[in-house]
Amino acid sequence: MLEHNFDYTIKALFRDKMLIFWTFAFPLILGTFFHLAFSNIEKNEQLDTINIAVVQNENYKNSVMFKKAIPALSDKKNKEHLFNTKYVTKEKAEALLEEEKIVGYFILEESPKVVVKKTGIEETILKQVVEEISTKEKTLNIVAEVTLQQHGIDETKRDIVYLDSWISATYQNILEEWEKKPTIQDISSPNLSYTMIEFYTLIAMTCLYGGVLGTVAINRNLANMSSNGKRVAVSPTSKMKLVFSSALAAYVTQLIGVLLLFLYTIFILKVDYGDDLSHIVMLAMAGCLAGLSLGIAIATLLKASDNTKMGVIISVTMLGCFFSGMMGITMKYVIDKSMPIINRINPANMITDGFYALYYYDTLDRFNTNMMSLLIFSAIMIAISIFSLRRQKYDSI
Amino acid sequence: MENVIEVKNLTKEYKSLKAIDELSFSVQKGEILGLLGPNGSGKSTTINCILSLLNFQKGSIQIFGKEMKPDAYDIKRSLGVVFQDVAVLEELTVYENIDYFCGLYIEEQETREKYIKEALKLVGLEEFQKFYPKQLSGGLLRRLNIACGVSHKPKLIFLDEPTVAVDPQSRNNILDGIKELRNQGATIVYTTHYMEEVELLCDRVIILDKGHILASGTCDELKLLAHIEEKITVEGIQLEENQMQKLEKLKNVEDMLYSNDTLVMTYQKGKNNLVDFIEYLKKEKIRYSKIYSERPTLNDVFLELTGKELRD
Repeated sequence: MLEHNFDYTIKALFRDKMLIFWTFAFPLILGTFFHLAFSNIEKNEQLDTINIAVVQNENYKNSVMFKKAIPALSDKKNKEHLFNTKYVTKEKAEALLEEEKIVGYFILEESPKVVVKKTGIEETILKQVVEEISTKEKTLNIVAEVTLQQHGIDETKRDIVYLDSWISATYQNILEEWEKKPTIQDISSPNLSYTMIEFYTLIAMTCLYGGVLGTVAINRNLANMSSNGKRVAVSPTSKMKLVFSSALAAYVTQLIGVLLLFLYTIFILKVDYGDDLSHIVMLAMAGCLAGLSLGIAIATLLKASDNTKMGVIISVTMLGCFFSGMMGITMKYVIDKSMPIINRINPANMITDGFYALYYYDTLDRFNTNMMSLLIFSAIMIAISIFSLRRQKYDSI
Repeated sequence: MENVIEVKNLTKEYKSLKAIDELSFSVQKGEILGLLGPNGSGKSTTINCILSLLNFQKGSIQIFGKEMKPDAYDIKRSLGVVFQDVAVLEELTVYENIDYFCGLYIEEQETREKYIKEALKLVGLEEFQKFYPKQLSGGLLRRLNIACGVSHKPKLIFLDEPTVAVDPQSRNNILDGIKELRNQGATIVYTTHYMEEVELLCDRVIILDKGHILASGTCDELKLLAHIEEKITVEGIQLEENQMQKLEKLKNVEDMLYSNDTLVMTYQKGKNNLVDFIEYLKKEKIRYSKIYSERPTLNDVFLELTGKELRD
């Protein structure tokens, strides 16, 4: 009986053109629109590579740290390289600066010095980078000195060979770190990617549209909501079994919709959701469950037509997505700051924030918090629905 | 005769309105019981209470000798219901709709296939089995509604105004189908406000108004309550005041109504009333276009009991 109802519910849901549009086609259309609208904005907002010059004097040639760090930040093989660097004499650097072919040059005299002609973001970045490299070099020298003293190696007893190898190894570790992950990065991308924010909210919206499917599937089993419900209610099949199999069919249909969205955005729109596929899938499944349970709760509590209920769910979902940043990330920050409770109970924000957490954080703490929030939200909605569904006779139908 | 349904003192109230008031009746095995009454008389409410869809304040309901409850699945397995509103899934074909609802009762697919074919034949929808509901006319849709309710071969069938707003061809088909179901052994509770259908189909009739039973019995038994023997209608007749006064005084005439060139004479008793009246009109040289005689109908009974027509 469960299988029979599941099969026919799936069949009916897939043949409902209105539902298919909202749950399958609309997210794809919106995704395409976001891709077209925001990818260009993002390109324009990315920081350009900064043209600089480095004076190749004796001090520079003897500085292990600068000699490694500057080329690492200028490596064209790295897509996000920061500098386009020319290694020249001081005179040539002066000339390039005068002709405005570079924004500034760096010279290592007694202390590192940056020469610029104007003030601006690019000039500031150059100064900050040089300052950071210099600080790291100083820190390393201090650490080395302290370590030697801790080992009780005074100057007269130092084994020159041992010291050289120890210092070289320490330097090497830090330099390798530099090469792997320069600490100065272009923070305009991907950390503040408009496109990613839009796609996260799009996935959240698609998951929550599961509520529309849930409402339609459940309504057919409720005697006080539809004529079909009356017919089903007089059949010898338990209402809970029918509701469960109908909800399962709606859930599977919604997962297929989300899967289609992922495939379309990854393979056609080339959206990069990161590498943590298993957690992405878990979050999408929890999101769909939250959407479905919201839909079932609305279906059981609100006595209205299918279309009215669909309207309510779509409105609630769109509002939730709006608060979580779909129409501009500023809204999410405003809500988080001024009315944090709204986004704490907003399932769209839980999903969106879960994706942020996966993409930007190395630990899973924030992701887990969002997953738990989604499951608790779903559990509350299901509990409300079960309480309402327990009623088997009505005062009026 | 074995009682299939036993309703005792059923009372259902909506706030201050008593929709059903101390209703008691029984339905015998194999009969077609007609619940006849105007809109709002409590027919559908009675059915919904019997089916355990509605709460009620007082009374008891037994079906097949057992108390009817929402989880009385053993009883429900033998029930078939055709509601007043068409209850089908728009996204499924005619065949799939019948299969879906039949599948809620019967798991075995082979049996279901056989039953679906029989249901399609019963309502004359064999040629439409691949059609979607929106492609069907109102009459065909009603037939599908019936097929979905009876395809699992129930022993007890509730038909709640199944012929509302259908064309004459579909109505005849539906009525033939209902007779066929009775011939197959089903007990049927049939609600309608069409007295012609009741007279054609029902073995016994309960006339309801405002949640009360006004009268019950066979059609012939009920007609005796009308206190009239015959009704003669004359169309295309033009009468003067003095002619009307003379007509009122004719032998056996109970009542007379004249409007729009139509005269209706009701007779409490007597034989050869029609022949006598035709001769009188000839003698008085009163011209007319059409004359016919009728036996009293259930509508006349209802009119006599309540002072209003069934379809008011």
